[in-house]
Amino acid sequence: MTRIVVVDNHGQFTHLEGRALRDLGVDTDIVDNDTPPSKIDADGIVLSGGPDMDRIGRSVDYLDLGVPVLGICLGMQLVAAELGGEVGSGDYGGYADVTVEILDETDPLVGSLAPETRVWASHADEVKAVPEGFVRTADSDVCPTEAMSDTERDLYGVQWHPEVAHTEEGEAVFENFIDICERAD
Amino acid sequence: MVDPESFIDEKVAEIGDAIGDDNAVIALSGGVDSSTAAALAYEAVGDQLTPVYVDTGLMRKGETEEIEETFSYMESLRIVDARERFLEALSGITDPEAKRHAIGEGFIREFETVAREVDARFLVQGTIYPDRIESEGTIKSHHNVGGLPEVVDFEGIVEPMRDLYKDEVREVARELGLEAVVSERMPFPGPGLAVRVLGEVTEEKLAVAREANHVVEEELEDHDPWQALAAVLGKATGVKGDNRVHGWVVAVRSVESRDGMTARAQEVDWATLQRIQSRITGENETVSRVVYDVTHKPPATIEYE
Repeated sequence: MTRIVVVDNHGQFTHLEGRALRDLGVDTDIVDNDTPPSKIDADGIVLSGGPDMDRIGRSVDYLDLGVPVLGICLGMQLVAAELGGEVGSGDYGGYADVTVEILDETDPLVGSLAPETRVWASHADEVKAVPEGFVRTADSDVCPTEAMSDTERDLYGVQWHPEVAHTEEGEAVFENFIDICERAD
Repeated sequence: MVDPESFIDEKVAEIGDAIGDDNAVIALSGGVDSSTAAALAYEAVGDQLTPVYVDTGLMRKGETEEIEETFSYMESLRIVDARERFLEALSGITDPEAKRHAIGEGFIREFETVAREVDARFLVQGTIYPDRIESEGTIKSHHNVGGLPEVVDFEGIVEPMRDLYKDEVREVARELGLEAVVSERMPFPGPGLAVRVLGEVTEEKLAVAREANHVVEEELEDHDPWQALAAVLGKATGVKGDNRVHGWVVAVRSVESRDGMTARAQEVDWATLQRIQSRITGENETVSRVVYDVTHKPPATIEYE
């Protein structure tokens, strides 16, 4: 059975990420973000959102485990910051209802949501420049990087919350991520 | 999604094993969480469980009577009239967290009395998953009797629904055969109407909140909201008849949600909003304005405090 663990960066919705995966029938666990990488046994990793870049524990270490990673909200920002992109505060906070435009309909994570999708967001910071190797796969009126992908390394991120009930096609994002993990396996 | 039937079998057995031949208490608020936990535990240990309902005076219109009726099948049910004690404890307090704290202390005092009387060794709670998350963070403090274990030396705490979401609890409540008045009940915060009057809790503000909440729930029933409420915000100028009124501002809020973690403000038609406005200002002399809250969660929370 495919196993995907959720790394808890103290986000309010972390448990909903666990629930979404559980409801889609994969084996899942929520783990603390100070778990040693050697103790993580998974086919894929979700980095949850959270309140503070100073509380991401060992999240960046999990990028080297050789399995696909999906960063959500702060989870995406920490990937961008670690790998040489740029993160800063946005001019316009993204809260609740946001219409996201898909920029790459062949993207394995969000391509199936093209041309646009309505999502629920909650963030003040944003990814201003994606790291080398990544492409921006979605944007919106309030945020330039609503999603990014590096299909070579199987690292992905979304700025919004596919796990909450008000995101219209959130389940599809998790289904796509599960496919990515199963293909990489 | 949880399978209600096997969940009930499993939990009834678990609760029975945990409590054994001892006595237990549960704080029954009438909400779906504590009602479901009480029904599960009652099924497991019968009258060894004493469900305690405290009438804080912060309840909605007719709520105490409804609960008395719904749970009359539990012979051990206790209804405690603590209205005066709560109002007194809240007098002069304006800070939201201090209000929640005073109410929590009040609940602990009332439950301590009953727990000692019935020699309860176990505490059953209707805690659900999001409660634990929000309490672990510092968004809002939950659990009316969160501090009870420090006062009463229980042998154990039983939380049969600690991993469930609200929608799953409702499934379980339906499967248990709890009346729709409980299983479909709108979420209502533990501190009751106290968090729906901003600032100090007074009898006057509570009376306005109670009537306004009643109007809102009645008028929005067809919109099938996840939660609909009215909150007394503060005072503003109005004119009634030929007299200036410095009256209460009542906010009306109605949201759609699956689990309370996120919420969308409902789109309510103008005629309905106007009827709500007219009833609240017409039936309450001291209300000068009614406003409709259009904010989603996030950035707002569902309740005001």
